[in-house]
Amino acid sequence: MSSSSLKTTLKGYVGYRGREGQWSFLLHRITGLGVLLFLLIHIVDTSFVYFVPHLYADVINLYRSTLFGIGEIGLVFCLFFHGVNGIRIAYLDIFKPTDWTVESERRSAVIALVITLVLFVPSAIFMARNLLIHNFGLLGG
Amino acid sequence: MAVETTSTPARRSVRVATPRNFETIAWLFMRYSSILLIPLAFGHIILQDVIVGVHNIDLNYVEMRWSLIAWRIYDAALLAFAFAHGMNGLRQVLMDYIRNERLFRLVSWGLLILWLAITVVGAIALIGGVRN
Repeated sequence: MSSSSLKTTLKGYVGYRGREGQWSFLLHRITGLGVLLFLLIHIVDTSFVYFVPHLYADVINLYRSTLFGIGEIGLVFCLFFHGVNGIRIAYLDIFKPTDWTVESERRSAVIALVITLVLFVPSAIFMARNLLIHNFGLLGG
Repeated sequence: MAVETTSTPARRSVRVATPRNFETIAWLFMRYSSILLIPLAFGHIILQDVIVGVHNIDLNYVEMRWSLIAWRIYDAALLAFAFAHGMNGLRQVLMDYIRNERLFRLVSWGLLILWLAITVVGAIALIGGVRN
């Protein structure tokens, strides 16, 4: 990818006003790539239990750090959004392709985001609580 | 600034012949695997990251979990479907940005090799289990 095509891409994303459909497309890509990046690392770190079991505790310790803990909350958002929005895409493509109209897509994009937040907010609170207990000794930890 | 509202008329479905090539199968795989990945990936992340939490996960935990063959099958399905879905997704994203066909073929082969290598590493660990 040349730098000029990257510039064109970025300018296109900023200038194009596709509203909900565009934002959900972008968020779907970003969250998908985010989950994949973690998944790649996660398969390797889990395989440590067989290949280098004495190093597994070190990896887990890294995951227990506050920085990774916050990243983990972000990961949960990425997976929930990508999954809920992905099901929307799969459902429309397979069963209701005629519903890919601007109005109905805008509505379903917003519904996907709302369902994501319903799943994400309680999970994030629970994970933040775990982080406060284990990393900051708060809440009786 | 005037706000433009776009309106599309109701659509009728039109059947078009789709070639059964690799890209069609990959496109369908992304959609069908998503149906399977919702219970698998959501279940995994809710159980391990939210309910159990990383502070309670260690070698003994993995050993205990994998002592049940059902969990290994669950994890094997995740490894197979989630990672293939993700790597093909990356390939499809890159397809939008890499305009040079030869370069894209090269990148695709690289992704295939990376996918195979990491999948094999994960599969060996899943079969071999925890070595204490």
